[in-house]
Amino acid sequence: MIKNLYNYRELLKSNVKKEIRGKYKGSFLGILWSFINPLLQVAVYAIVFPYIMRVKTENYLQYLIVGIIPWTFFTTVLNQGMITVRMNAGIIKKVYFPREILPISVALSGLVNFFISCIIIVLFCVLGGVGISWHIILLPVFAVIQFFLTLGVVMALSAINIYVKDTEYLINFIVNMLFYATPILYPVTLFPQKIRWVLYANPLTELITAYRDIFMYHQLPALLPTLYLVCITIAVFFIGLLIFRKLEKGFAEEV
Amino acid sequence: MKREEYSIEVKNVTKKFKVFYDKPNTLKEKLVFWKNNKSETRTVLEDINIKIKKGDTVALIGVNGSGKSTLLKLMTKIIYPTKGSIITRGKLTSLLELGAGFHEDFTGRENIYFNASIFGLTRKEIEAKIDDIIEFSELKDFIDNPVRTYSSGMYMRLAFSVAINVEAEILLIDEILAVGDQHFQDKCFAKLHELKESDKTIVIVSHSLDSIKKLCNRAIWISEGHVKKDGKTEEVIEEYLKACK
Repeated sequence: MIKNLYNYRELLKSNVKKEIRGKYKGSFLGILWSFINPLLQVAVYAIVFPYIMRVKTENYLQYLIVGIIPWTFFTTVLNQGMITVRMNAGIIKKVYFPREILPISVALSGLVNFFISCIIIVLFCVLGGVGISWHIILLPVFAVIQFFLTLGVVMALSAINIYVKDTEYLINFIVNMLFYATPILYPVTLFPQKIRWVLYANPLTELITAYRDIFMYHQLPALLPTLYLVCITIAVFFIGLLIFRKLEKGFAEEV
Repeated sequence: MKREEYSIEVKNVTKKFKVFYDKPNTLKEKLVFWKNNKSETRTVLEDINIKIKKGDTVALIGVNGSGKSTLLKLMTKIIYPTKGSIITRGKLTSLLELGAGFHEDFTGRENIYFNASIFGLTRKEIEAKIDDIIEFSELKDFIDNPVRTYSSGMYMRLAFSVAINVEAEILLIDEILAVGDQHFQDKCFAKLHELKESDKTIVIVSHSLDSIKKLCNRAIWISEGHVKKDGKTEEVIEEYLKACK
């Protein structure tokens, strides 16, 4: 598979570019929207949430940003990735190429966007007085983990979505739930001890906690949660790949 | 003969399509109607065995709906056989029906890059060839316009120019020779002859029997999903014409 992808690296490259440029094509600010959107979202929560939730977290603005930007990485890739096979029906019916390229380019474009967005995080941390430390070198490690985790999910869903169109709508609902089951707006401690395991079972909790350790608390992410995250990621990735492999042969007939 | 001398091997291939009268697309439809889903399985190809030698130029002929295009799609690996297997050796490009999967909003030039990269070329290789491709397509004045503004003839010319210039070892072409004006058709044939001389394997689906006679050294007549006759082009065409009367 890797050799095959290497042979098709040019296609991968141009597809990634297309994904990055294409999403906001025609709008006045173009690609800038990929960065403005999460910031606007942060603004909404930063204004509203301190009132309704009475969340008392230090540096709440930074806390939100470090949560929302990785979350945006996840949902953008999910939303674009789920429909990518269907969107490319034209070329799928006409030519052969490794079909994995489609979800991979969506995930890669998300990763590139995320790295650029991290500049915003750093800016807010530095200007907001939180500062930055050497721990930031761990950022690529966790970004890559998130990349594979998301890619696994997207491969499975983009393939299933071809056969059962409901997937898209169902996933929209699940993502909505997941947003509140991840400590993005609030700290984990807000939940009663008894049900915190729900949050911890969600690998995105470990991810976002790790990002906060790196950016805000200047400490190493805890070992055990990270191990759990890596295991889940490996499992999700390979299950996703397996499902994609199983279903890709029918793409040209089904789309 | 050594196995490696075959470019394409089709072994016991059967292809069945499920034909739905009313295809259930959503989960609800699938659950609610899962018993009275009217569908039938149509066998398009049955137990096909074909071996194509390296350097051969082969025509697939037959009436509409006989399974020629399906066979070609199977060779391209766009769809997969229900039973049996297909082996191809060497780099393969294909040109199926109208259009090669262009992006409508991209310019002609961008589509050349995109299309050639789908065939597995690197940027460097494309850059080395792009002038030849544009020259061959005769679309120099339009190459930086979006493809959606192209006429169907221009569209096809671009697609053909890319496919024919990527220097694959196997070229699969489906009924496109009829597109384009006389001048461009002649040019395509000249190029196909050139490729034939340089030991490339070519498989063509076509209804223009005269051109096939000139170009191909072997013809395979497919009828109702079976190989009806396989042999020298003239003989197969002669018998095919007799049967058509």
